[in-house]
Amino acid sequence: MIAYTDKIRDIARRLLKDCRVETVIGFRNGSMPMMNEPCFIKNVDDVDHLIWDGNCGINLANYLTNRTDKIAVVAKGCDSRNIVTHIIENKIKREQLVIIGVPCKGMLDKRRIKAMAPGEVTRVVEDGESVRVCGAGFEKTYPRKDMLQANCAVCIHRNPVIYDELVADPVPEQQNVDRYEDVRAIEAMSAEEKWTYFENLLAPCIRCYACRNACPLCYCPTCFVDESTPQWVGKSQNPVDVRTFHFLRAYHCAGRCTDCGSCERACPMGINMRVFTKKLEKEAFEQWGWEAGLSLDQRPPLDTYRPDDPQDFMK
Amino acid sequence: MSQWEPKIVAFLCNWCSYGAADLAGVSRMEYPPNIRVIRIPCTGRMSPKFVLGALREGADGVWVSG
Amino acid sequence: MGVEPGRVHFSWISSAESTKFVDVVKKVTEAVRAVGPNQKFVKKELKVA
Repeated sequence: MIAYTDKIRDIARRLLKDCRVETVIGFRNGSMPMMNEPCFIKNVDDVDHLIWDGNCGINLANYLTNRTDKIAVVAKGCDSRNIVTHIIENKIKREQLVIIGVPCKGMLDKRRIKAMAPGEVTRVVEDGESVRVCGAGFEKTYPRKDMLQANCAVCIHRNPVIYDELVADPVPEQQNVDRYEDVRAIEAMSAEEKWTYFENLLAPCIRCYACRNACPLCYCPTCFVDESTPQWVGKSQNPVDVRTFHFLRAYHCAGRCTDCGSCERACPMGINMRVFTKKLEKEAFEQWGWEAGLSLDQRPPLDTYRPDDPQDFMK
Repeated sequence: MSQWEPKIVAFLCNWCSYGAADLAGVSRMEYPPNIRVIRIPCTGRMSPKFVLGALREGADGVWVSG
Repeated sequence: MGVEPGRVHFSWISSAESTKFVDVVKKVTEAVRAVGPNQKFVKKELKVA
């Protein structure tokens, strides 16, 4: 990880010095352990703020929407796929970007680490294949692969799909991963069971919209939840309103979501709203063989017509 | 209420199903009176929020037809 | 997602197919009648004592 950090800093320093870019978007240490925050570096002197470790789960493609300046952006596998989606959707031009690709080994699940630690976590150190969690009066070591975010554990695109610079050699992709085990479990439920399952899943939601704000796909100028004429969704904690919000947000991500896990990571209540987007991701894969953000030359299935489009749901 | 009757919101495309509904009307065909037609300029105008909106407002069914 | 299948329908009818239209209306009505009244997704007003 230190090697990654050094390489990112070197590249950022060079790009800024040569005036290839005006801004470098990357991560710096947050004020709490495991809470790295995105940062915008505009000055060569600030380059040493940049870091890289297993807590860089936020998707940086989110900060590229409608930018007009030249930007270098640090991108792991899922970020790069979202950058591709951004380019396809005309939210940024490829020429504006210098993509610093980071072969990713998966991000750490901060909730799981916090839950397993016997006290308050003050420091998390990654050491190759293990994670050392330190706090007042304890120090524990766990295997890194057991501490990954749920979406990283089933990720099959760890290496960036587009990049201009690569900070390390590509990592081997995971093979034989069952990506949709959880979705299939829900699909097998009856309508009644699904209703209850989602009722419980969404019960803690406080409608802070952190998931929407963290999501690189959610760039509508006015989100439907903020529209007032007509008002589609009430502002209250009414369960039907909460459900409408999550369903509709998921639908907007259909065929675009890369399962980067930003939404779940950003959620203060720890809700796994990824089950919605993942279901639609599965659907896009099964119906059209589509995985979002893998190529710049292919239009997404929902904005193209193919004579062999499946349409068994129609009468 | 003697017997419950379903209330169905039908989103019909102006050029397709709305025309068919019109033709059914002028041909004096009979069909169940449970549908409430909303004419949309094209099925492309359809949005998932209409479906959810209709259900939230108490519709028992939604039918989208191009 | 917990909304019963049979509550939401999609179809494709040309403007000349009035008979198909009548058919589909009947089918849709029957299907919705079969799943019964929509009680779950309706937004109910909060009861104020």
